Amino acid sequence: MAKKAKGKKPTFFADPQVDKLMGIVMALAGEVSVLRERLNTVERLAESKGVFTRQEIESYRPDPHTAEEREQWRTEYIARVLRVVHEELEAVERGETTPESYEEAVRAVSS
Amino acid sequence: MIYEQMQHAMLPHATHDEQARQNFVQSLKVHLATTVSPGNKAVYEQRAKPRFEREHKRTPRDRHDVRRVMKDEPYYQTWSVLLRTSQEMMWDAVATSVERQLPALIRQAKTTGKTLGSLTLDPNLPIPAYHTAVDIHCQPGAYHTETTADDVAAGAIYDRAVHVYAMGRMGPMNDDIGASLAAYVNRQYPNVQPQRILDMGCAVGHSTIPYVDTYPEAEVYAIEIGAPMLRYAHARAEAFGKRVHFSQQNAEQTNFADGSFDLVVSHILLHETSSTAIRNIIRECHRLLTPGGMMLHVEVPQYQGMDPYDAFILDWDTYNNNEPFWGTLHDMDLVELATSGGFAQEKVIQTLIPSAFKMARSRTGLFQGGDFGGGGEWFIFGAVK
Repeated sequence: MAKKAKGKKPTFFADPQVDKLMGIVMALAGEVSVLRERLNTVERLAESKGVFTRQEIESYRPDPHTAEEREQWRTEYIARVLRVVHEELEAVERGETTPESYEEAVRAVSS
Repeated sequence: MIYEQMQHAMLPHATHDEQARQNFVQSLKVHLATTVSPGNKAVYEQRAKPRFEREHKRTPRDRHDVRRVMKDEPYYQTWSVLLRTSQEMMWDAVATSVERQLPALIRQAKTTGKTLGSLTLDPNLPIPAYHTAVDIHCQPGAYHTETTADDVAAGAIYDRAVHVYAMGRMGPMNDDIGASLAAYVNRQYPNVQPQRILDMGCAVGHSTIPYVDTYPEAEVYAIEIGAPMLRYAHARAEAFGKRVHFSQQNAEQTNFADGSFDLVVSHILLHETSSTAIRNIIRECHRLLTPGGMMLHVEVPQYQGMDPYDAFILDWDTYNNNEPFWGTLHDMDLVELATSGGFAQEKVIQTLIPSAFKMARSRTGLFQGGDFGGGGEWFIFGAVK
């Protein structure tokens, strides 16, 4: 499935790099929220079932298999955070690089 | 307060993280609509409008004047980039979840029900240029793109995304627009009992189902150009136990006989067409209606008579959310449009109707970009034949 919607993406700041940075920051903010929500679920379940203590979390060390799984997860995570960079390339590959290409769409349906 | 979407057999499941990702987008959208977006008006009144008046020796006349001066305001730029980003994150969060479980959703669509209504696809139907030029409202692949056999992805993505996009304000079944119009017709025309109803541009049939409930004796038909939407819509309706006949057709020219329907409706369809297509659609409505039958189309209010700032902020999607016909539609003379399609001028209907879903979250009472359903009212345009 395509990740980027067809059509020239608008930019709002004088320097379009700032727009890109905002996209990256918000993706990060989203993932922090996802993580916080999951952690909150874990802590509440553990607490209600008397499963583990906070001290046990502090002293935990991953085994090699766990470390490998975590590496795989981080790889996918980074791709998600850098979504706007990948989509910029999709736009370049499709030639949607000028405002005129979108304005043409407005004109096409309005005339 | 969180309003959950009603579970049904076709609704994609979300893992814990997928759900949390969608929750974040929805919370971000609520924050932008209620807390950030209204600030644009203060920025306009206190900074942008005086700047325009100094530079041009007159007040801004229309939404275009306001847009020209607001585009340089840092607050507006920040809100805009956050709103555009929320839209892209929404599709990404939902599409990733749907892609993970797509084979299971396709299997489910093949096995759900199929005993009440029907599904007729037309693989040769041309997808109109106004749906292929850009992906409408930034859904990658829009309504029509298929990437695998018997694809339902676009529909599954749309059903979840509408709930996130509207911040739950469409109700647990995403049906507020259809439910609001069906309730209006039932209230306003208590003696009308339509026998055959057509919903044009039905997407996943979320607005269609209220007509099945409001008029249980009627035969309900729904058309749409996107096959993956229709496969999903049919299975979804069956999962809810609702009888709807879905077919893949363009509303500009359908294969129904003259006078086939006594009620033809559409829900936020018109703004996703074009100047040429909309005239064809109105003419087709006239052809399809029985004498005394009625067409009704739901949108948000027209710009005519609206303050230039209010029109500007409602027009954000035209330039920034892949809704190229939005602005042109909202400037159109709808009486002229209806009469050019064959309806009498005195039979034209234009009014605001209240939302059926009263308990909606964080209503702003405003019509502004990124705040879908915030006004608590829908604009309807139509005519009696």
